[in-house]
Amino acid sequence: MNWTEIMNFSRGLLLHVSMIIFVAGMSYRLVRVLLLGWQRDRATNKGSKLKGVIVNYLKGLLVLPFIPWVRRTFRHNELTFIAGGLFHLSLFVVLAFGTAHIMVWKSLWGFGWKSLPTPVLAFFSSVGIISMIVLLINRLTHPVLKLLTRLPVWINWLVVFLPMITGFIMARHLWFRYEVIFSLHLISVSLLLIWIPLGRISHFLFYFFSKTIHGAQAGKRAVTP
Amino acid sequence: MKEKTIYEHLREKGLSRRDFMKLCGTIAGMMGLEFVPPVKAPGKIPGPGPEAVVAQALTTRPKLPIIWLEFQDCAGCSEAISRSSSPLLSNLVLNDLAIEYHETLMAAAGFQAEKAKEECLKKYFGKYVLVVEGSPTLADDGIYCTVAGKSNLELLKEAAAGAAAIIATGNCACFGGIPAARPNPTGAVGVTDLIKDKPVVNIPGCPAIPEVTTGTILHFLILGELPKTDHLKRPLPFYGNTVHDHCLRRPFYEAGKFAESFDDEGAKKGYCLYKLGCKGPTTYNACAGLKWERGLSYPVQSGHPCLGCSEPHFWDGGGFYQGQSAPILRLDKNSTATLVGAGLAAGAALAGLNAVKKSRARKAIKTAASEKVSSGTGEEKKEG
Amino acid sequence: MKSQKTRSAINTYLKETGGWVASQLEACTRCGICAEACHFYQALSNPEYAPIWKLEPLRRVYEQRFTVAGKLKLALGLEKKLTDSDLEHWSKIVYEACTVCNKCAHVCPMGIQLGPLIHEVRAGMAAAGVVPADLAEATEKQKTIGSPLGLSDEMWRERIDWITDEWEVEIPVDKAGAESLLVFTSIEIMKFPDNLAAVARILNRAGENWTVSSTGREVVNFGYFEADEELTRLFLYRVFKAAEELGVRKIIISECGHAYEAFRWEAPNMMKVPKGVEIVHISEYIHHLWKTGRIKLKEGAFDGETITFHDSCKIQRRGGIIKQPRELLGVLAPKSFREMTPNREQSMCCGGGGGVISIKEADSNRYAVFEMKLEQLREVQAGAVCMVCSNCRLQFVDSLAHFNFPVKVHGLAELVSRALV
Ligand code: HEM
Ligand code: SF4
Ligand code: SF4
Ligand code: SF4
Ligand code: SF4
Repeated sequence: MNWTEIMNFSRGLLLHVSMIIFVAGMSYRLVRVLLLGWQRDRATNKGSKLKGVIVNYLKGLLVLPFIPWVRRTFRHNELTFIAGGLFHLSLFVVLAFGTAHIMVWKSLWGFGWKSLPTPVLAFFSSVGIISMIVLLINRLTHPVLKLLTRLPVWINWLVVFLPMITGFIMARHLWFRYEVIFSLHLISVSLLLIWIPLGRISHFLFYFFSKTIHGAQAGKRAVTP
Repeated sequence: MKEKTIYEHLREKGLSRRDFMKLCGTIAGMMGLEFVPPVKAPGKIPGPGPEAVVAQALTTRPKLPIIWLEFQDCAGCSEAISRSSSPLLSNLVLNDLAIEYHETLMAAAGFQAEKAKEECLKKYFGKYVLVVEGSPTLADDGIYCTVAGKSNLELLKEAAAGAAAIIATGNCACFGGIPAARPNPTGAVGVTDLIKDKPVVNIPGCPAIPEVTTGTILHFLILGELPKTDHLKRPLPFYGNTVHDHCLRRPFYEAGKFAESFDDEGAKKGYCLYKLGCKGPTTYNACAGLKWERGLSYPVQSGHPCLGCSEPHFWDGGGFYQGQSAPILRLDKNSTATLVGAGLAAGAALAGLNAVKKSRARKAIKTAASEKVSSGTGEEKKEG
Repeated sequence: MKSQKTRSAINTYLKETGGWVASQLEACTRCGICAEACHFYQALSNPEYAPIWKLEPLRRVYEQRFTVAGKLKLALGLEKKLTDSDLEHWSKIVYEACTVCNKCAHVCPMGIQLGPLIHEVRAGMAAAGVVPADLAEATEKQKTIGSPLGLSDEMWRERIDWITDEWEVEIPVDKAGAESLLVFTSIEIMKFPDNLAAVARILNRAGENWTVSSTGREVVNFGYFEADEELTRLFLYRVFKAAEELGVRKIIISECGHAYEAFRWEAPNMMKVPKGVEIVHISEYIHHLWKTGRIKLKEGAFDGETITFHDSCKIQRRGGIIKQPRELLGVLAPKSFREMTPNREQSMCCGGGGGVISIKEADSNRYAVFEMKLEQLREVQAGAVCMVCSNCRLQFVDSLAHFNFPVKVHGLAELVSRALV
């Protein structure tokens, strides 16, 4: 087996299988949760649930990750907040506007869009990598995080970090032959795809549950979420 | 009788000493002995200098016998050589530096040709270079490519037996090429898959760049050995870099400027073709350095993405116009629906089990509560 | 190995784990941000006081019973099953270091409703009977005597008569045909009778046709503190039954946060509630009376020393009665009213809610938290602090005395009644 074959394997079968696991696994997980049953809320509303939900999303997506001091308690964890926000921002920018990734979306959905200039992508991916390292150090040292972090959470970190670092190295053409780093990138992406339905990275899906719930709870009570 | 050296041969044809030395310089360049960017020089040549090395070889060596076989192919590689950018040069190599048996190009045909080949094999046993174009086929004992009643496997074994070295030219001979594209009905393979006991070098490409084939022949002729190769047995002087490494559109790639279609502004401005499916980043070939047609151009320069023709299974590596990063195998709507269905079914099955557990728990709680009530005030019983 | 106790807890968790619970448990990313929201963690730096850690028993049961990944983790030895000692361990955490204030939900980037989920954890503890002794005792008293403070029917009547005499207010008891039923806490009747008198005076002045009930006389719900569903229902039921018997249209919850939460938001989801009976909190009702002109207030009655307002978790953050008390204070003390920070939805809990104040062992936690409240009071140089929950008020009075900190504590009703014109 040489790297050319490994590359073809990881671009082909491996990625395919991991996408299969990802799609089936996430549907599985979603139904499993959904079918546990939901109770109707019979209490009469004081305010509008819908408004609460909308405000909550706007706040959560636009304000909170970037302006941690809007809530006073955040003075205690600015680091986690800023690093976490920047990490997610960079991840989305790189995944949505990286040229190579646009080609993936295009092949899946049939349409693509313009990519960002490479220096901008380079900036965001380095920001992403740095914030992940910051988050790791925080996780290693913060007493609460030490308590909360078990093996699966370390795996979460790793399977996200590997694609980021290999992608960065590949896009800069550093150190490795392209097909080697390309293979490593795709192998780590496959790992990620396989892991998502098993671990807590699937929070991107359940985010919409808890975020909606919080918005609705606040909305019905007529408070700002 | 001692064989005539190449030098003697050339002098007979009326080449002056001065022209001869000039020729030696050209040859050195073609072999990559002199650094012709971006073709990599294979280290330092010992002795007085590249031309001198070439001159030394040409004055002492006789013509190199070459036997050129074709299997499953389109003869495109031969075509490329015969119409190469430097017809003089390939003429020179194939006529003046080498004695050749080439089924397609030679004048003889039929039994005559077969006889000529047999004589050639015998006469130069252990000295000739075997050039293979096209892929040998394995399925059904190789009957899908049969010449003069012999299967290509037989032919290859027979010719390889007396070869000093083997040069596989074109993706077909190297890795199976187009005949090996899925589902590969003839079981096409590369020469290196069959011949393990001889030095083999691969000159992949579709077609192989003619100068690379001739350059490699020259290398063997002058230095008496095949050039150093990479892990796919491709000569490093020509396959040491990717097309992307020396692509003239590279600055646009670095800046993130891409042609989105073949006729947009970007395409006109010469932007990078990555988004149009360019495989340059993973394709090791000398296109961007040597170029084609006397250095006139090469695919990417002319506005077409690199297809990756010097890489194994380039035919099966996803669509030519699909980005390099696009997954090769894709989930279509139906299989996605099936997968989602399977996930849903499994989830629902587990949810069923969970519902049973839940109702059991509820029952247990009820029994416990009714026990508590019978021993307590009993007041809460009134509320359901 | 598994005892009956653990089994009861597990059964409760299984029963309570619907999509609502599961989706939120799944959403947690283990970021730990909620830790810094919790006043108990802030004050004591015990990592086990991180809100998300308080959900461990529930999460473990959910994952291990309902998910393949959880079973895998068990099989690989990455996790252990819930045991009796786990229950005891977490019982201390969820009852003594959580006021179910739900501040954490507002800080969690996922918006996970940690407070209500911790309530579910407590439910398991209650089912298993692993509840701090003081809390269990008070609950038992409420169940058998009718008041967590052990106030019997006779004593209650005596107290009402005494208040009527002492403050010279009329308090209608069991008045058939009344519009509204006022339900208050034993704390008020025993410790803050002035508050009850004040409420009575306001309602009388507004010409409200109201009454109190001798059967539905306790608004505090210790079943709800414990999170024992049956008892919660029972205590709610007593009041609802009285309301139905008296034929009132409205139940006015006096200054108690947890009670408001239970009546306003929980009851409709737990039991049949009397139709057409509105649940209001006294602070919003006073505001309503003032807005509609049924009472008039002397403007600037309390201008002078700085007065601030403490937001009670269940009434402000979880009850939405945020503007009303501020508007009233804006009339009562327009010049000297100052906000503490953080405030409104983001305010910090006093540390005494959720039953914490009734647990002796939790005193040190409670005082540690209160030190942060003191800091906030100091920042605004408050001379007085006003609030609308007598549980908070108890915590303020007790802790201010403990720290010997000279700030006056008022109920809002009390201020309003003194400013009536
Ligand atoms: C099917 C999935 C994916 C494919 C085929 C893919 C492919 C690629 C390729 C080919 C590049 C290099 C682009 C270049 O040479 O300029 C790249 C860059 C990168 N990839 Fe991916 N990728 C995938 C998923 C991911 C995921 C899931 C992550 C992150 C968790 C990721 C993170 C990155 C990063 C950080 C870069 C560097 C971007 C830059 O600095 O410009 N990729 N990816
Ligand atoms: S490599 Fe391409 S050009 Fe050469 S023989 Fe095969 S198909 Fe023809
Ligand atoms: S055109 Fe192809 S080879 Fe040239 S820079 Fe773009 S991707 Fe690389
Ligand atoms: S509800 Fe309040 S007391 Fe309980 S964990 Fe959350 S912040 Fe802490
Ligand atoms: S803040 Fe929310 S997501 Fe983060 S650990 Fe706490 S509960 Fe989980």
